[in-house]
Amino acid sequence: MGVVYCSCGPANVKEMSEPSEQLAHVELKDLPPLPPPYDNIEELPGFKKLKDETREEYEASLDDTLAASLKKPKSEEEEKEMVERFLSGLHKLFTKENNWTFLQPLLLSMEHCAKCQTCVEDCPIYEESGHNELYRPTYRSEILRRLYFKYVKNGNKWFNTFQQGGIELNWTLISRLFELSYRCTLCRRCAQSCPIGVDNGLITHELRKLFSQELGWSPEELHGKGTIQQMEVGSSTGMNKMVVMDNIEFIDDDMTDRVGFDVKTPWDVEGADVLLLENAGEFLAWPENHGCSSILLDAAGISWTMSSELAGYDGVNYGLFYDDVQLARVATRHFEIAKKLGVKKIVMGECGHETKALGVIADRVGIGNIPRESILTLMRDIVFSGKIKFNPEKNDFPVTLHDPCNIVRNLGIVQPQRDILNYLAPRFREMTPHGVRNYCCGGGSGFAIMSKNNFLDWRNHISSRRKFRQILEAFQDEDMSPETKKYVCAPCSNCKGSIRDMLDFYGAKEKSGIYYGGLVELIVNAMEDAREPILDWDMM
Amino acid sequence: MSILHGLVILSLVIFIAAIVARAVRIMRTPIHLRWELYPVPHEKGRAAHGGSMLEETDWWTKSKDKDHLGELGVMIPEILLLKGVWEHNRKLWFSSWGMHFGLYLLIGHLALVTLLGILGVAGLDLSTGFLSILVSLLKALAIVGGALGLLGSVILFVMRLSDNGMKRFASPSHFVNLIHLGAIYLTTLLWALLDPQYALHSVGLLAGLVSFGEIPALPVVGYVNIAVVLLFFVYLPFTHMTHFFTKYFTYHEVRWEDEPNMPGGPLEGKIAAAVSQPVTWAAPHIGADGKKNWVDLVSGTGKVDDEKKEA
Repeated sequence: MGVVYCSCGPANVKEMSEPSEQLAHVELKDLPPLPPPYDNIEELPGFKKLKDETREEYEASLDDTLAASLKKPKSEEEEKEMVERFLSGLHKLFTKENNWTFLQPLLLSMEHCAKCQTCVEDCPIYEESGHNELYRPTYRSEILRRLYFKYVKNGNKWFNTFQQGGIELNWTLISRLFELSYRCTLCRRCAQSCPIGVDNGLITHELRKLFSQELGWSPEELHGKGTIQQMEVGSSTGMNKMVVMDNIEFIDDDMTDRVGFDVKTPWDVEGADVLLLENAGEFLAWPENHGCSSILLDAAGISWTMSSELAGYDGVNYGLFYDDVQLARVATRHFEIAKKLGVKKIVMGECGHETKALGVIADRVGIGNIPRESILTLMRDIVFSGKIKFNPEKNDFPVTLHDPCNIVRNLGIVQPQRDILNYLAPRFREMTPHGVRNYCCGGGSGFAIMSKNNFLDWRNHISSRRKFRQILEAFQDEDMSPETKKYVCAPCSNCKGSIRDMLDFYGAKEKSGIYYGGLVELIVNAMEDAREPILDWDMM
Repeated sequence: MSILHGLVILSLVIFIAAIVARAVRIMRTPIHLRWELYPVPHEKGRAAHGGSMLEETDWWTKSKDKDHLGELGVMIPEILLLKGVWEHNRKLWFSSWGMHFGLYLLIGHLALVTLLGILGVAGLDLSTGFLSILVSLLKALAIVGGALGLLGSVILFVMRLSDNGMKRFASPSHFVNLIHLGAIYLTTLLWALLDPQYALHSVGLLAGLVSFGEIPALPVVGYVNIAVVLLFFVYLPFTHMTHFFTKYFTYHEVRWEDEPNMPGGPLEGKIAAAVSQPVTWAAPHIGADGKKNWVDLVSGTGKVDDEKKEA
């Protein structure tokens, strides 16, 4: 059967500038059907419509949802001013002073795309939207490229238009482009397939930066309640030092009861070998993850600590998704805390974007960095060190592995988690495809914490759809009734949030017995000496 | 020296100068943040599964030897066979490969004809022995390269017009570029097919050019071929087709660039220079004033009081 293209996206790039009520529309009937028993549209959750008052207040002419939520300007003068500021930011994006961080990769991606569309079939959002043209990964890139050639690039304007095609810059375009920069999870699967090395994920990232760093536009979840709250209060969850220490104490007590030996998180130990820096969302949503990390580090005899400094107990860095200055501020804070404690290294918890942001991206934001490593590699070494006795039969249930984009495709940490699962999960099976060719959970680039308006519906129906399909397919050789418990191992906090939402949305626990969790929970669940299993299906 | 000598020199000077200028512009951009994408083929023993040195505990204490042969193992099939297009866009592969491989054959043809021209000027007899075999190879290269490239260009032209995705993003230049390339392939093919003295003429042409001597009279199609080729030399450096060499940067300087910033290492100086630059981003949370540099700015949190927000 040939590819069916829906007719509900923009016909061309220029339509982006043309005022209309809504540029694109998603119909559930256009989406590729999921495997049974999720194949009947009538039985699936719907796609809530934006409220009229929301459409009145915000610019909502892109598609059926709002992620970034830009308020409408009060006057035409304000619109014009914003367009001028956008243009100013566009120029800055291509200067070495303001954008040394990504200038070279951006220029390369701007100037050398052959527009062959080789990348598009690798985008799960485009594919799972029923090939809606708005979500074609080259669409937003093409808009920025045409703006660059028209307004920034030196040379004859006629020649530049002849080479790239034209576009009109107006309020309609920039307000839609801002929203559209939040319809890509930055998974960079498309970049892998580009024969030339053009990176649409990078272009989307740079667009978000332009809006944030010049116009001050960004989703509240990433900025006000994200990086700002993290540095002002201590955590993007809103937890201050006292609250987080109280929570951890509770987790320690609970874990002590369950495993039968003393679990106690050390705080602010100067000169410890390891500073454990986790996504603080774990302490609220998946407390077992921290508890199990604590158990494992202690059992291995590792000298470790956590920090109670402001932002020292929350490893998230949402600056990675929208703003280089905020990224650098959070990362610098983390480095300073580690130096002050005098630890030998920072170990980053099961959180993909944290590991990428602090481990690699922030590698060049300062000088004299503290060494960092992923907890996945450390856990692999602990598991195979012989210091702890395991009984893999305790994990005798079907397990599949989700590869977080930031850990696998962007960091190349592929094998440690597989070594562990191959040893401790006797019924482990891979998804297809997996490893560096994995699909995003649908919550990448901050989507996992964005759910205002009806964005959660968009995410679950479209950006998470391919992952849900992969999960179902991975267990197809098992009894798919809820009686057979199946475990999706997702060693990343944001991925877990996204997978939690999708499993809830589709009722996959009740219909198919599909549960999810991290990697360290499986490890501790298999510890011979633990009194009770850590995995409690009734509580998951 | 004839007008043709002058035109060839002018075209080559423009081509080389524009290519060098573009390469220098790319190389002079500052160090950027790491943005590698796996698999990275120089990861010794790990590239097959897409792994990196970060799979090791205390990776900064371990050897970071790079497997440069592994990089070649990716680049060669990518350049010669367009492996990426084969794997990700099969319907485009034959036309794109034909268009590119035809060009490679013609570039090989040009290199060979230049070599033979130089040898001819040096007084070697091209009509006997191994050199005569090379001379006879010229025509085969021209015919196969021209035919393959022409076929690829024509199919690509049709796809640019008809493919659902490609037609949406096609600009006038895409069609002109393909017509131009098609004209190079067509005139090469016709010249080789219609001129019984093709090898002699083409070697004589290059001998005349490199020695600034006399150039033999050519058939009309030969002159047309020279014109479209020279025009291409002048035009190409100003288009996206420079990806033929900028691909080096997208792969080696971005996708596979994984050099860690080690204390006292070679990157520190470049980073120090980058972060000392003044910032002018205008959003209030940045706090830039055109004088503060990146180091000054990262000490803040980004919180903006309400008065500033309103302003």
